[in-house]
Amino acid sequence: MKPIDVDARRYAWCRGHALWIVGMPTHIFLEDIQGAQRAGQDGLLRYAARMIGDACAVALNVALNYERPIPSAAMRSSWALERLQGHELWQPCWELIRGTEASADEVVARCERLVDRVCVIVGEMPNILTPEGHYPAIAMARDWIKLMDAVGEKAPLPYNWTLPT
Amino acid sequence: MVSEAERREDLLARVERFHGVSFEQVLGEIEYLRDAGDSVIAGGSLAYGFGNHLSDLDLLVAGPTTVESSPVPLEHFVGSLRVDVWKFAQGLIEETFDRAEEALASESPLLGSFGDLHHEDELKLLHRIAFGVLLDGEGLEPAGERDYCSLASGLVVREYAERMRASALLAQLALRADRPIAAVVNARLAVEEALNAAVVRRGLPFSGDKWLRERLANQTADLASVYKPFRQLPENPARDAPRFVEEAVAVCTEKWALDLDIDALVPAARWRNTDLQVMEVGTDRLLLSARFGALWSLNESEVETWHRLVSVGAVEPDATWDLGECDAEALILCLRLHEHGLLGLHWTNGVALGNLEGMRSVGHEADRR
Repeated sequence: MKPIDVDARRYAWCRGHALWIVGMPTHIFLEDIQGAQRAGQDGLLRYAARMIGDACAVALNVALNYERPIPSAAMRSSWALERLQGHELWQPCWELIRGTEASADEVVARCERLVDRVCVIVGEMPNILTPEGHYPAIAMARDWIKLMDAVGEKAPLPYNWTLPT
Repeated sequence: MVSEAERREDLLARVERFHGVSFEQVLGEIEYLRDAGDSVIAGGSLAYGFGNHLSDLDLLVAGPTTVESSPVPLEHFVGSLRVDVWKFAQGLIEETFDRAEEALASESPLLGSFGDLHHEDELKLLHRIAFGVLLDGEGLEPAGERDYCSLASGLVVREYAERMRASALLAQLALRADRPIAAVVNARLAVEEALNAAVVRRGLPFSGDKWLRERLANQTADLASVYKPFRQLPENPARDAPRFVEEAVAVCTEKWALDLDIDALVPAARWRNTDLQVMEVGTDRLLLSARFGALWSLNESEVETWHRLVSVGAVEPDATWDLGECDAEALILCLRLHEHGLLGLHWTNGVALGNLEGMRSVGHEADRR
C-alpha cells in the first residue's frame, strides 16, 4: 500500500481541479489551435496558446503544490508562476502566457509538447469533445465527484452532468 | 448589408464544406428536442462567419410553447460536426432580457452577473437571439417593443467596460505590490476588454474573448493597430511593467473616456473577505482560511497591517471594506491575498453606459461606415 502524502480532502480537491482544468479547457484550446492553424487564423491560434499556457501553469501548481483556492482568471497566471519558479515547465508556460511570436507550426508544437508533459504529472483526461471520449470523460467526472463527495468537498463540475438528481 | 437568407446560405454552405453534412441531417439529429412551435437558431462562430472546420455548431431550440428547458448544452455529433444544443422556453429568454434591461438601468455593478469570464452563457444566449441565424421555424417575436440587438449589445459593452475597469485597477495595484507579472497580465486584459466592448458597440455579435484578434484583423482593422503593442507581454516584466501598464491604461482611457487612474478607481472599489482570520499560537501569527483549509505564517509587519484592516471591519467572514480605507501597506497585503483567491474585489457602482463617452465616438465611427 502506498500512502498519498497529503490529506484526503486536499488531494481530492487539488487533483480533481487540476485534472479538469487540464482535461476540459486544454482539449478545447488544443482543438482551437489545430483548427486555427489549418484555417490560417493566427489570432485565434495565439489566443488559444496563451490559454493553454495559463491552464497548464495553474494545473501544475495545484497538482504539485496542492495550492488552493484557485484565484480569479486575471490573477491566476502570476499566482501559479510564482510557485512554479525553478520547475522545468515554468519557462514553457510563461512563454505561452506572454504571447509568443513564433511561427504557427512552432506554437502548435510547443502547446502539444507542454500539454503532454503536464498530463504526465496531472493525469490523462479523455477528450470530452470527441465521440469516443465524451462518455468516458463524463464517467471519470462522476468518479471524481464521488471521491469529493466522500471527503466533503464540492466538485468543480455541474452535478447534473454526471449524477442523477 | 448581408440578408438573413444569405447568412443562412453561408452557414449551411460552410457546414457542408467542412463536414459534408446537410442542413436536413442536422435538423434530423435534433428533431427529438423540438416541441411544437420551436424554432432552431444558430449562433456562435460558425453562424457569425468566422468559425473553422473544428468549430462546433451552436444551436438554440426555442419557442413560445417549449415544454422543457436545458441551460446545459446537449452535445450531438453529426459525422464530424459537433452540435451543441441549448433548449429554452421563450419565457425564460424574455426573463433574461428583463434582467438585462433592469441591470442596464441600474447603477449597481453588472460585472459577472450574466456569466463570468469562463461561463459567458447568458451573454452568448442573448446574442444568439439577437444576432443568430434562423435555420428553421418562425423565429422568436420579441415581447412588446423590445429591441433584442440593442439590449444584447448594451449588456456586453457594459460588462466589458466594468471588466476593463477592474483589470486597470488590478494592474496598477499589482505594480505597487511589486507583482509585475500580475500587472502586465491585467494591463493586457484591460486593453482586450476595451476593444471587445468597442467591437460589440459597432453592432457585431459577441463571440467571446478568443475571437477578438480575428475580429480585429478582419472586421475592425482600425482597432487592430491599437492592440498591436499589447499582443505580447514584456520579456522582462520586472523592468518594463510600469511602462506597459501606463500605456495600457492610457489606451483604455482614450477609447472609453473613463478615468482609470488608480486614485480615481480606488474610491469605488471594495475588498471582500472570505473567512480569513489571524490566529495567535504562542509567538506564531497564522493567517487562516478554514473554508479553503489554507494557512500562512505572517511576519510582524503583516500582522500589524492585518490589525489595521481589522479596525475597518475586515475580520468578519464575507465582510467588505473600501480600498480607500487601506493605507499603502494594507493595499499591498490585500492585493496579495486577492492574488491567492482569498479576497474578492467588488465595486460600489457599475459603469453606466451614459458615462461611456467612447460609446458615442465608437458608434459614430460605425455610423460613418
